[in-house]
Formats: sequence, structure tokens, C-alpha cells
Amino acid sequence: MSQANLAVDPHAAVMEESLFAIPSSKLVMWLFIISDAVTFAAFLFAYGYIRNASVDWPTPFESASIWNALLMTFILVTSSLTVLFAVRAAQNDDRAAAFKWTMITAAGGALFAILHLREWSSLIGQGVRLFQNPWGSPMFGATFFTITGLHMLHVIGGVIALTVVALTYKAGRYSAKHIEIWALYWHFVDIVWMFVVPLLYLMNMKRS
Amino acid sequence: MSEAAAQHGPPQSFIWKYVFSLDHKIIGLQYYALALVAVFIGMFLSWLMRFHLVWPNAAIPGLQLLSKNGAPDGLITPEYYLSLLTMHGTLMVFFVLTNAPFAAFGNYFLPIQIGAEDMAFPRFNMMSFWTTFVAFVVLLAAFVVPDGPPISGWTAYAPLSAIGKDAGPGLGMGQNLWGISIAIFCIASLLGSLNFIATTLDLRAKGMTLMRMPISTWAWFITSCIALLAFAVLLPACLLLILDRVAGTSFFIPAGLVVSDRLQPHSGGSPLLWQHLFWFFGHPEVYIAILPAMGIVSHILINSMRKPLLSHKVVIGSMMAIGFLSYMVWGHHMFLSGMNPFSALVFSFPTLMITIPATILALIWLGSLYGSRLQITAASLFALGFISMFVSGGVSGFFLAQPAIDIYLHATYFVVGHFHLVMGVAAIFGIFAGTYFWMPKMTGRMMNETLGKIHFWLTFVGTYCIFMPFHYLGLAGNVRRYSSFVDDFMAPLMPVHKFITIAALCTGAAQLIFLYNLVHSRFWGPVAPENPWNATSLEWTIPSPPPWNNFGGIHPVVYHDPYQYSVEGAKEDFIMQNSPEQVETPIPS
Amino acid sequence: MSAAGNSNSMTTTFIVYGAILSIAVFQVLFAMMSGPSLALMLFLGFLQASLGVMYFMHLGQERHSLFLVLIPCTLFVVFMMNMIWSDSFRLLRMHSH
Repeated sequence: MSQANLAVDPHAAVMEESLFAIPSSKLVMWLFIISDAVTFAAFLFAYGYIRNASVDWPTPFESASIWNALLMTFILVTSSLTVLFAVRAAQNDDRAAAFKWTMITAAGGALFAILHLREWSSLIGQGVRLFQNPWGSPMFGATFFTITGLHMLHVIGGVIALTVVALTYKAGRYSAKHIEIWALYWHFVDIVWMFVVPLLYLMNMKRS
Repeated sequence: MSEAAAQHGPPQSFIWKYVFSLDHKIIGLQYYALALVAVFIGMFLSWLMRFHLVWPNAAIPGLQLLSKNGAPDGLITPEYYLSLLTMHGTLMVFFVLTNAPFAAFGNYFLPIQIGAEDMAFPRFNMMSFWTTFVAFVVLLAAFVVPDGPPISGWTAYAPLSAIGKDAGPGLGMGQNLWGISIAIFCIASLLGSLNFIATTLDLRAKGMTLMRMPISTWAWFITSCIALLAFAVLLPACLLLILDRVAGTSFFIPAGLVVSDRLQPHSGGSPLLWQHLFWFFGHPEVYIAILPAMGIVSHILINSMRKPLLSHKVVIGSMMAIGFLSYMVWGHHMFLSGMNPFSALVFSFPTLMITIPATILALIWLGSLYGSRLQITAASLFALGFISMFVSGGVSGFFLAQPAIDIYLHATYFVVGHFHLVMGVAAIFGIFAGTYFWMPKMTGRMMNETLGKIHFWLTFVGTYCIFMPFHYLGLAGNVRRYSSFVDDFMAPLMPVHKFITIAALCTGAAQLIFLYNLVHSRFWGPVAPENPWNATSLEWTIPSPPPWNNFGGIHPVVYHDPYQYSVEGAKEDFIMQNSPEQVETPIPS
Repeated sequence: MSAAGNSNSMTTTFIVYGAILSIAVFQVLFAMMSGPSLALMLFLGFLQASLGVMYFMHLGQERHSLFLVLIPCTLFVVFMMNMIWSDSFRLLRMHSH
């Protein structure tokens, strides 16, 4: 424990220093993230397992779907950038800017979810269901909707959380720490998408 | 870094004080009570099963009230036997072995042992208890739905569990409730372990370095790390199972499956995938149950021996090694599943390796006992009993780790005897030891030692009478999960079964002594002093029961390693962790 | 407390942002030209994720111990899941290997 820390942290005098020198809530967010990462990994492994074991796995995605997925990647990664702006503004105590950038991030998330739902409805229009599809193994729809659905739930949850955090922050009851913690969550949602795209979209591309 | 700690003041009304309490001690007691209810229900179910096994034609009066179809006229049907088996396993594994040693004692004593006022996130803590409670209620609801509880076992093997009610009684609504209950339980456990880890890392009192934490604290900490990543795999498994059941997917159902003369409209899935996902969680879960018990037992033994274990660091290292290896061995539950025989070999190796840290632990306990002046109390007896059970059950693990032997033994009573001894009864002994040791602190009243010792001897002898013969039955080829052995090649083994059943009824009845002791001493026992066992860790520096903020607003400062017993030159034969007393270390001659 | 630190310079942030997006575009173009190769797709995904974790989530700027606790644990558990593959391939070919 350095003397500098004693000066910064009033608790340091009465408590043992925290191991990682981050607030407990940030630690808990990190732990939640690795736990959730393992959950997503289990889903993706289940998908890979079933795909390997199938003889008639379809690869139906036309290039239009792929470009759409790339657009969604662009939106999600950009929203990760805007949430970084929000964190930076909050750390500089610029409440108005932090609020603005957090809300822009939430809007990006909402746009992502809308694009995703549009894609879902087009797939459903083509006859893809959880239990069947026009092309091959019925597990195609099951794995696709389950994994992207879980990811979308995380996006929607993140949009709600970011909105609540932004409003509470604007009202002055939350600090920069809260924006930073939910920014971590938002980046995590982004990172999951980086595995969903190659495994669920690119690997299921129509082969010429 | 204690920004989240103890934001709550002393609660006033009954509801906030005892029901939706934010106090980790009340939450610990709530977990304990929940586990107590679950363990007695679970034990009652095992009585019904044992009774039915040896007297299949004797009606159990009143049982038809529990299930009209499952037990018409009080006679248990073969299907209902499987329902009882499922509920017994689920209740015991999730709501007793996970809840009592980990969530109950951990909640109560982890913050106190590290000198914190509360958990890092008291609201999370309350939520995780009430989420567990909801899971418990949802599971018990399976008893009252029309077709009763599921028959697929606590492991819910697919495809039996993934198909609807075509596959058998209880596989309609009952199995849905099972899946929902376990999914909720996963979320509760995840919340709980997040909180445990944050508390341990961030809320330690001044001077409480990681290596100065008592072994019990270490055990709860390591357990929460295991639980964090293990329940994260059971959760998706349960979600996929629920989807298979209600949304028509077929993650765990293969093509062309005909059940009850009906071709199932599923294709593309694999039952083995369920077993992989389930046991990926399931093996770490075994250590989630046993590690806290190891920690509790070490903590108690050290106190009764009046000297530290041979090596504090090796004990902690072994527990970490067990946690690490627990993720590498899940396939040894699947040797019989049709898994790739090559991966069976690969799984067999780490399974044998995991016996190394386990053996080191057992040797350290026994080696420390050697030459010590052990004080015989109910708590230390149960701690010794734990070691006995752990070793006896662990030895049969050597056999089962090898695929060639396991294939013969896996579907027999040998495995049942193995896991009941090493995981079930051993962890229960840990809970009993913890109860006799800590109840004075939790309730402020001493428990009756004589009754405790009687309870120990009856339980100790009783459990060996129950579970040792299981091994012989298994070697003789007695298959498990059958509801009746009459008119069967196993009929000659019936006398052994009769013996086991009588032992089970007696041992179960002996638990009433414990219940009486618990309730009686809670209200009429002698008032407990602050430190009845002359122990050194921080929980014994505060009044019994502790005030709502544990240390009365004072931040304790820790000066010593956790187990300063029999210190030469000290005023007494022990030094409390927070005592500023310094003793010259004698120069080793 | 980490309130003071934990922000890259704007330049670094934009470079990482650009890199992640370029990898995404490269991934898609590569998949369209010569078919998706699982190994390459996964490698690129890992690359993107590492950049995200280290720079966007600032794990690189926290104490080293946090990285050493979180990442090896997660990778270890995910790595162990690979034990399921032998069974999934086997179902297809009904061989013992």
C-alpha cells in the first residue's frame, strides 16, 4: 500500500487495500462479464456441436444479409466509441456531454436492435422457425434465433440500462463510475457480436 | 473501497428485520432455514424410496394424498419411485449441499471473518436469497401439478427430459417446473458468488491480508470462483432444455426417436450434448458442495487441536488446485453414455490427478492430528467424521476414475454409495460440524454437547451402515434406479437392502435429536459467551449473536495469522487475530 | 480509484476503432471471395475482441493482476469446452474416432 493511495482513499486507513484497486461495483461488472462470456461460449459450443453432427446444415445467407450484418457491426462498434466519449466526458465532469453521448449510445443500440428485428422478420417471412426452415437441418433456425436472440436481449437490456444510468447521472445521483461500469457492459455486448458474426453469419454464407 | 458496504441502518420493523433483511447474518440464517426444510423433505423422500424397495407391497397410509396417480392406495408405482428419486437428488444437491455450507455459513461468517460490516452488495445478497427461495417453491410445485414431479433424475438426462409428456409421468409440467427452477437457481447462485468474491477482495479489515484469512474464508472464496463459471454453463443448458420442451427445438433430441409409439417431430439434436453441458457444470458443483465443508472442518479441527495445520499455504493451494482441476474432469460422469472412448481416456487422467490435492488435504488433516491434544466436542467429532467419510468415499473414486472399471460399476449401487459418502454425507457432516461450532455465535445460546455427541455416533455409525453395503451391492451387480428387486436376479440381495433400509430409518430418526437440540437450545440453552471455544478468528471477538453492524461501528485491525494456538510465551494458549499482543518468536533450536 | 486514469488518448481510441472495423470488413470480404475459413474467422474475431478488451474496456490500463485473474480463467474454461468436439464429429461418421 503506497502512501499516495492512503491519501486518495479515505477507507484505506481502516480497510485492507482492494486487490485490483478498482471499485467493488466495477469488479462485479468484470466478474459478471466473464461469467456471461462463458454462458455465450456454451451457447456457441452447443451450436458448433450440433452443426458438426448434422449432415444437412444449410448455408442460406445471401450477400445482402452479410452486408446487413456488417452494417450492424458498424453501428455497434460505433456505439462503443460513443460510450467511450461519454466516459471521457463524465471523467472530466462534463455532465451535459456525458448525458448526450450516453443517450447517443443507447440510440445506437436501439437502431441495432431494430435492424436485427427487421432481419428476423425477413427470415421468419422466408419460413425460418425455431423448429424448421426451408433449407435443411431444423437446428439452423433454433441455433440462429437462440444465440442472436440472447444477444439481442443483452442489447435491449443495455439500452434500458444506459438510458436509466444517463437519466440518473443527469439528475446528479450517479457518478462517472456508473457510466464507466455500464460502458464496460456495453463493450462486452459488442465483443460478443464479434464472435456471433463470423460463426453465425459468415459460416452460414451461401457458397457459390 | 468499501463504498457499497453497509449503507443500511439497523432495521426496525419485523419485515425489514427478518424477511427482506439486508443483513448478511439474517440472510445466512434464512439460507440455513431453507436448507433445513429442504434436507428434511429430501430425507423423507429417501425414506419412502428405501421403504418401497424392501416392502414393495406394503401401503404407506396417507401417501395417496401426496399423489393420487403416483401412489394409488399408498403403493408407490415404479414411475413415482423415479419421481421421488429426482426430487430427492435435486433438493439435496441444489438446495442443501449448495445452500447450507456455502450460502448459509458463507453469508453469515465470511464478512465477519474478514472484519467487514456486511457483504459488498447487501441488496444483491437479499435478492439472491429470495431468488433461491422462488426456485425452491417452483421446484416443490412439481409435487402438486397433476402428473407429479419429473422422472428423469436430478441430472435430467435428455432425451427423456427433453420430450414432453409422451415420455412418461411428470415429464409434462413437472419437468418444465424443474427446468425453470434450476435456471432461477443458477441466477441466484451467480448473484451470490459475485457478491462473495467482491466482499472477500474489497472489504478486508486493515491487516487482513489474503494469507491471513481463515481457511473457511478461503474455501468460500474459492467456491464462489468455481460457482461463478460453473453455473454460467448450467444456465444455458437449462434454457436450451426449456426451449426443446416448449418451443419445439431439438437441441437434445435426435432424429427418428419413437416414444410411446409416436415418432417424435424432432431432428438434428444430440442427447450427449446435454450430458456434456450438464456435467461441465455438474463436476464443479461437486466441489461447490465439498470445498466449503473442507474449509469449515479445517477451521474447527485447528481450534480443537489447539494448533495450526501443518501448512496453511498448502491447504489453500490444494483447494485451489481442486477448483482448477474440477473443470477438466466432467467426462468421467459419462463413461457409460456412449461418449468417445478416446475422450474417456483423456478424462480419466485428470480425474486421477484430482486425487492428489485431495489426498494432500487428507494427509494434512491426519498429520496435524498426530500428536495433538484433540478436544472432543460435537463439532470436532463431526469434523473427524467428515474426514472419515471423505476418505472412505474418495477411495472408491480411484476405481471409478478408470473407464474400464467404471463401465461395470457406473449403473450400480457402487456409484450411489460413492457419491453419497464423498459428496452427500461428507458435506452434511461439514454442515453439522459448522452448526455445533457456530450456533452459539449465531443464536447466542450453547447447544447441548451430550445430545450432540449422541447425535454424532448414531449418524456416523448409521451412515456407514447405509452406504458401505451399497458398494457391495454394486460389486454384486445391483443396478440403481430400479424401484423393486422382487422376482429378479437381485432377489438374493434383499437381506442387504432390508438392513440398509432399517439403518436409513434409524439414522433419519436420529436427526430428530439434532432438530430437538437445535430448537431447544435456540430458546432454552445456556447463554453463549463471546468466545466459547477459545478460538482466534474475528467472529469470536464480537458478542453472540453479533449486533447488526457486526463490530459495532469499530473497524477491527488484524495483527496475526488466523490460527495462533499454543503460542509459547503468550498470556493464554492462543492469540486473537485482532489482539495487539506481540510475542517474541522463539528461535528454533 | 481509477477515476483519474483509464482513458486512452483520442488518437489511440480512433486507431483501435478503425482497426476493429477494418478487421470486420476484411473478414467479410475474405469470406465472400474465398469462402469462410473457420480458423481465420475465429482468429480475426479474437483479434477484434482482444483490441476491444484491452483498449475499449481498458483492461490493459488496470492493474496487471486483474488481467491475470480474469483472462486466463475465462480462456481456461472455454478451452476445456473443446473436449466436446470428438463426440460431435463422431455422431456424423459413427466411428470411434
